[in-house]
Amino acid sequence: MVSTESDTADPILTCDGVTRTFTRGRSGWLSSPQDAQTVVAVDDVTATINTGDVVGLAGPSGSGKSTLLHLLAALDTPTDGRVILDGTDTTTLSESQRAKLRLDEVGIVFQHFHLLPSLSARANVALPLVQRGVPTSTRRAKANDLLDAVGLADRASHKPAELSGGEQQRVAIARALVTDPSLLVADEPTGELDSETGRQILDLLTNVADDRAVIIASHDEAVLDRADSVLRLHDGRLQSESTPSMHREIPHES
Amino acid sequence: MSRNLRRLAGVVRLGLARFTGRLFGGDSRQLWSSIAGVAFAVMLMTTVGGISLGLASQSAIESEDVDYWVVPDAASASAIAVSVDAPRLGGVHSVTDRLGEDDRVDYATPVLIRVLELSNPQTGHSEYVLVAGVIPDSTNRSIIGLPTAPLEPGDPHYADGNYDGRWTGQAVLSSGAATLLDAEQGTTLSPKTGSATNRSLTVSGVAESEYTTGVGEVPVALVHLSEAQTLSGATSGDQADQILVSTDDAAVAGDIEQLYPQTNVVKRTGFAQQQLSSSSLPLAIAVGAVLTAFVVGTLFVATMMGLEVLSERASLATLAAIGYSSSSRSLLLVVETLGVTLSGAVVGLGLGIGGIELTNVLTERYLGIASVARFDPLLVAAAFVVSVLIGLFASVYPVWLSHRANPVEVLQ
Repeated sequence: MVSTESDTADPILTCDGVTRTFTRGRSGWLSSPQDAQTVVAVDDVTATINTGDVVGLAGPSGSGKSTLLHLLAALDTPTDGRVILDGTDTTTLSESQRAKLRLDEVGIVFQHFHLLPSLSARANVALPLVQRGVPTSTRRAKANDLLDAVGLADRASHKPAELSGGEQQRVAIARALVTDPSLLVADEPTGELDSETGRQILDLLTNVADDRAVIIASHDEAVLDRADSVLRLHDGRLQSESTPSMHREIPHES
Repeated sequence: MSRNLRRLAGVVRLGLARFTGRLFGGDSRQLWSSIAGVAFAVMLMTTVGGISLGLASQSAIESEDVDYWVVPDAASASAIAVSVDAPRLGGVHSVTDRLGEDDRVDYATPVLIRVLELSNPQTGHSEYVLVAGVIPDSTNRSIIGLPTAPLEPGDPHYADGNYDGRWTGQAVLSSGAATLLDAEQGTTLSPKTGSATNRSLTVSGVAESEYTTGVGEVPVALVHLSEAQTLSGATSGDQADQILVSTDDAAVAGDIEQLYPQTNVVKRTGFAQQQLSSSSLPLAIAVGAVLTAFVVGTLFVATMMGLEVLSERASLATLAAIGYSSSSRSLLLVVETLGVTLSGAVVGLGLGIGGIELTNVLTERYLGIASVARFDPLLVAAAFVVSVLIGLFASVYPVWLSHRANPVEVLQ
């Protein structure tokens, strides 16, 4: 078992023997079962993440980082094992229940931002609040507050196409935080940004970790340096866990 | 407002915001194509529906102040017995008076049609003219293309059936007849008949007549009924060939049929044109137009919105990832699809009304039938109802497509 914090802290997320497999090669009625090939994307991963943790998820391309991140964020369910998010076993939930869990407990930041292009920055930030049934005035106020917090108060009415990459990612972070989630996951959040903008985004992500856990998947060591601990995956298996002082000494696979 | 209602309202507003945002920004070809498809379907439905309404209500006749023509049943032996050359109606003055007492009837007049030889004694010109005897009222109407205004209202010579009242001698000539007779307003004409050679007519007006046959314009004249009866020897039995009844109330037709046994009540757009439609044809056309618009519109919108979902799958996957339920995402797509179809309905209605006007212009110009198509507010309601139905049915496909997409795969 890998723990990222002291055992006395509150675990917000626990994954217990999580395995995720995919079947390839059976795409049509004419395909025979022999064509099917099972690929293990995540293999028997066990970890506990506590409130206040900033956890890096490292590994080479294809190591299962994104798949594990999706499992931890309740976007996907494991083939085997359990993911317990804020006391709820996500493997027992229906799709609609998992959507509700994500809405209440998880904020997600994507590498490609994934803002809705036809909406303003403010409307993008307020999107989760629409699904929550929050009154319009409250939505607007809260979105404005968060845009102010990420330094985009004067860009609230702009569409994503009118914003730079760094600004779009800050809008995405504001959207992820607008429901005050207990878990924030970010998949390669600086992957499309220059180093200075990436540093600003990391500042934002790490600064909001006091009341929640933050998991950042990246293969960028500069990003991983900002984490309290790093989980390293290789071929879907958790290879090691390191603290900030330790993980610079571990030889990394590219 | 409860949380669920606020969510519902919020998702609807979000759908509308996404729809308008994509419509007027970025790549919106599929949306515009969908709107164009619905507009085309609604335009066809409105135009064809307008034609159906026109046929059903025979509005073409209303435009000529004539709705129904009471004509003798040619197959009836008793009707034939009235005249040796053609079936005629008898006692037409009293029947017309009874028709005039009905509040729903705007105007009624018997019409006696005879070919008479008229001559201009001053010039010696003589010509056979189609003379129509009518009972004009105080309103200027158009009968066989000639105005009734130059004729004194009523039928002074009839005098309660004795044909001894004042002889007005007024006649309205078509310009063709006036040319042939070398006559103008005030010219005295002499009818050459066997029964009343001492009677004369005075031209009280000359007008362009639209009454034509295959060989060109026919020289026609409009006179008082009793004077036409006197000149043609049709006073016995107070005869006329038919009765024109002008009304806006289609229900009058049934009552008119009760007036005369062995007669037909027909609807015609002009003096010599046949009934435009049978009773069930307009309904069949209208139903066909609605069904065609619905099926074509639904298939087209479903296809285009399916393509739209494929191009917007990242946005939909994002909404799923941040916690939007499948029902909210479905509602979003339904709202967007309804936005497309309702926009198409507005555009299609405008085009359809234009189509109705164009149809009327073309049929009047090339077929001589005015106002074949008719606009009715019901067409607006029909367009919006059909477009909503198209939106609801067509949205099934994009909703199904969106549910098939795995957000995790899309967002990778």
